[in-house]
Formats: sequence, structure tokens, C-alpha cells
Amino acid sequence: MTSTAPTPEATDVRLRRSRLRPSDRVRTGLGGLASRPGRTLLTALGIAIGIASMVTVVGISSSSKADLLAELDELGTNLLQVRPGQSLFGDSATLPPDADAMVRRVATVEDTAGIISIPGDVQRNDHEDEPNGLGIVATDGRVNDTLGLTARTGRVLGSSEQHLPVVVLGSLAAERLGIDDLTGGPTITLGDDRYQVIGILDSHPLHPDLDRSVMIGEAWAKQRYGIDPNHSAIYVRVAKDRVEVTRPLLARTSNPAAPNEVEVSRPSDALEAQTKVDDNLQNLLLALGGVALLVGGVGIANIMVISVIERRAEIGLRRALGASRGHIRSQFVIESAALSTLGGALGIALGVGATAAYASSQGWTLSVPAAALGGGVLAALAIGALAGLYPAAKAARLDPADAVRPHA
Amino acid sequence: MTPPVIELRGVVRTYPGEPPVRALDGVDLRIDTGEMVAIVGPSGSGKSTLLNVMGTLDRPTEGSVLIDGVDTRRLAERHLCGLRATRLGFIFQSFHLLESARVIDNVANGLLYQGVSRRERERRAQRALDLVGLGDRGTTKPPKLSGGQRQRVAIARAIVAEPSLILADEPTGNLDSRTSDDVLGLLDRLNTELGATIAIITHDHEVAERVPRRIAVHDGRVSELVGATA
Repeated sequence: MTSTAPTPEATDVRLRRSRLRPSDRVRTGLGGLASRPGRTLLTALGIAIGIASMVTVVGISSSSKADLLAELDELGTNLLQVRPGQSLFGDSATLPPDADAMVRRVATVEDTAGIISIPGDVQRNDHEDEPNGLGIVATDGRVNDTLGLTARTGRVLGSSEQHLPVVVLGSLAAERLGIDDLTGGPTITLGDDRYQVIGILDSHPLHPDLDRSVMIGEAWAKQRYGIDPNHSAIYVRVAKDRVEVTRPLLARTSNPAAPNEVEVSRPSDALEAQTKVDDNLQNLLLALGGVALLVGGVGIANIMVISVIERRAEIGLRRALGASRGHIRSQFVIESAALSTLGGALGIALGVGATAAYASSQGWTLSVPAAALGGGVLAALAIGALAGLYPAAKAARLDPADAVRPHA
Repeated sequence: MTPPVIELRGVVRTYPGEPPVRALDGVDLRIDTGEMVAIVGPSGSGKSTLLNVMGTLDRPTEGSVLIDGVDTRRLAERHLCGLRATRLGFIFQSFHLLESARVIDNVANGLLYQGVSRRERERRAQRALDLVGLGDRGTTKPPKLSGGQRQRVAIARAIVAEPSLILADEPTGNLDSRTSDDVLGLLDRLNTELGATIAIITHDHEVAERVPRRIAVHDGRVSELVGATA
């Protein structure tokens, strides 16, 4: 030391600011939670419920979507349907007889199959005449491959059965007719004719109209009923990823004379639209989860304010031990954020559990987007830190001299 | 020449009000290294304010407080906190222990705001606990301890950073007379054997009698009773 009198700060190398290591900052923040486990858990529950409901909503919707998309993928999103629409005058139009053959010539088309609707009643036997909403379609066997039709029991209508009076039932048609299996060789009547049932199809979600139909051979139908050869629908399987370029061509190709009288649709679009409808409900539920989170955050802020009041003495002591206002502030913000994050983690566990339970009850595979999990934790962390700001500022503002005084 | 551990020059502390309260009214005080001082006064005499000002928990309205020659008036808050962390040790009447933390962690907290590593804190805390005779109670939690033991833990926390000055505010206020004797004996031993500088604030003349230098506080003014060195 020199004998001159410079400023004390200059002479004293030991003069330094108070320091708290980052690890100690975290430890101090967590210490407050560990000392009141019951209260910690109850307070965290608010956030947990909010996060759990959001994770469940996202998880269930994502699991169901994943399931539906997997199903769609299996059913084929590359299938288009060509149907006659209406003429300019509002009459029902028809497809030209050679529409099927024309469409099949398009380069990107892999396969086609036409069906012909036949007017007539479908009944279990000729004593009944209750309307049952079932239709009759004639097919030439190609429809099995094009649509990937499979039989639940018995067999699909093959080309060898084209000339026989046999019938294959759609899944819903079988149900309405009260035919469960083929034991006893069940028959049905179409108009005045009796037909042998040789198979019942699986349900095909892309083709609800086929589920409601019974199928007979096209050749048989022409020979027996003399139906006109205009297809009532043509199914078109297109090369994958060429669907969008092919779709606009089909109307002109199938009916060059009147393309405006043709309706081209993609059956999988209807199913996909269902997932869109769900989005509205999902958003509403997410908003409710958000409200729960908000309430949870307010609960945390409340408890933290109480905690600051209760822990005056501790705050005073820490200030006496050298803690700066900033150290006190960070202690309470970290405590609040940790409390909320704990709730978030709890909520994720609950939410994933609930989703898994629901998914397994529906026979879905569990799918919770990682973003929902990460987002849940981050949201909880942010809400907790935010909720802690005011209590922490209150704690930091406490007058240390006042805080260390007993029973102040 | 070593500066005094603490020096108060013309310290005035007024609290706003109608009329304003002049809790400290021109206090000059100097304590040198190795001294043990009792500051005695009835309640309302201004001794709590004096302790807070000496401990830099409160700033004087006028005058200056120098600790180890450092004028605290010129210090920013973060340096003032650093000063408390390194140079001052506090002992309170109600101990102020963290009930849910182990004894050794309570003591180690005396080093927390110096940025000392955890391992080093624990090592030094163990040494301080040995000094106060509680070396084997480190893993206990405070609720399991008697009042006298708790105050010993608080003393260990106050000395763990080896501060220049230990400020004890009614350290025996919550203890029975036998335990008080123990605690005062411990403070005395820390002073004589380790050379710790200690200021005890008390209203209890029996406590003050045991201390070599006594300063009376009355109506915000101080007067030396016995043993002044200056």
C-alpha cells in the first residue's frame, strides 16, 4: 500500500461484487420448491392440467389423423371417379358407352373399371317389400383389382361368374339383409329373380356406395335385363403423383362431346375433409387448454407472492449474506419457472398417458408430435418465468434491514 | 497503518414522518481489528438502526461508514453486496436458519454469494462447524437442534467467510441464561483465540458486562462506557 490517499476502491483489490455461480442460482431457485413439496405439487397441478389437456387434444387428433392417413394411403389417394353429371338443362346426363375404353388410353391411367347401376329392389326373399336403400350394380370383375376390393367371407365376383345368377354383397348391404355368413347358402331376390350369395365384401371407406350395393356380373345383367351399356361410374387408378395432371383430362376424354356433363372426383378427398372438420373442434379444445394454462399461471403468481411474504426473513438473511437484488430476483423467477416446468412435465406425462389410453381403445397407434411435447415444456417454462416476474420484483424490493428484523 | 475495521463519521439516520424521527443523531464510532465491543441501549434507543447502518443493510442520511477503510457511500449496490458477502458476518436473535436445509448447507451459505465452489464451501463450512463444536451435526436439519445449537450454527455461518467484522444482534435474546453463557463464551473464544472482531448489540447489561469495551446508545447518540481504545 502506498502512503498517499487514493480512492479506497483503487487501493483495495479485494473489493468485488457479490457473485452467485449459475449452478448455485439454479440450486437456490429449486431449494424453495423442495422445502414445500405438498404446496409445490398442488400449485404445479394447475399447469399440469392445462398442458395435459393440450397434449391430449393434440395427441388424440394426431393419432386419429395418423391412423386415417395411413388408411387413406392404403386405400389409395390415386383413385379418381368419373360420373355423369347434369346436362345444361338440368337433366341427368349419361356417359358415352366407350368412355371407359377412352379413359383407359390416357398414358397416366393405370387401370379403370366401370360399374352400371341397375334399377330394382334388393330383398332377402320375395315376401318382403320394405325399402332398404340398397342398390344393384353390374360389374365386369375388373373393379376388384382397380378398387382393391376384398371379401370378408366367400369371394369377390370374378370373371368366371360373369354369366351366372350369383351375387356379392357390400358390407352394409349384407348387414341390412341380415346375412352374416354363407352357411346354408343364403339367397336374395332382385326383382323377381333369386340369386345365390357367393361372398360378402369388407367395408371400403372410400366407396360407401358400394358398401350399400349388391353386385352382379355385367354379362349376366346385359343378357338377363338388357341394360344399356352406359357406365354410371368409372373408377380410374392413376399413376401415383400424376393425379393432379390427369384429373383435368378425364372429363374431356370420357365425354369429348360434352365434357361439362362429367363429374370427376377423388373419393379420398371426402375422407381427408373429415380431418379438416376436426380442426375446428381441436382449436376450441386447445383454446380451453390455454385458458387452463393461464389460470395455472395466475395460481403460480399468487402462490409466489404468498411465498415472498412468508419468506421475508430468508430474503433478509440472503441480502445480509451478500445477495444482490438481482440474485433475489433470479432466485424467485427460477423457482417460479421450475414450479411451472414441473407442472408441464407432469402434464405431458398425464396427456401422453390419456392419449395412449384413448388410442389403444380405438385401436390406433400412439402418435404425439414431438413439437407438442417440447412446446408444452417451453410453454410451461415461459408461463412460470412470466408469473414469477412480479413476485420476484417484490422480493428484490424488500428493504433488507426491515426483512431481517424478527416478526416484522 | 491498518485502517479501523469500521468507522462511523457523523452518521445521521432520519426516518421520514411527522415529525421526522432522528434514529441516529451524529454517531462517531471506530472499532479496530481484534476488538470485541458491546453496544448497549434500551429498545428505541437507535441501536437496531446503528446495527443496520454498520452492516450496510441501511444507508445513513448523513455522514459516512467506512469498512476496512472503504467508504460505503461511494459503493454501487453490487459492490456493497460484495462487501457484505466478504467482510461482514451477521448473527441474529432469531438465528435465521433455513429450516429445510442441512446444517452444513446453512453454514456454507455464508460463502454462497462470494461465488465459491460448492465443494470449497462445504469444506470450509465443516471447519467452521468444528470450531463451534458441531462438527458432527452437519447433516442434521435445524429443527432437530436446540436453541443454543442453532445459534452456534448461525455463528459458524457468520465466521465461515472469515469476515472483518461480526455483527451480533441480541445473539442471546432467544436463549436461556445457561445457553446464553455458552454462546457468549464461544464468541469470546473466537475473539481471543482467533482474533475475530465482534460487535454485540444488546439491551441486556449482563451480556454487556462480559465484554471488554462497552458503548452506550441513547436517543441516537453513542457514548463510551469502558474500555475505549482510541
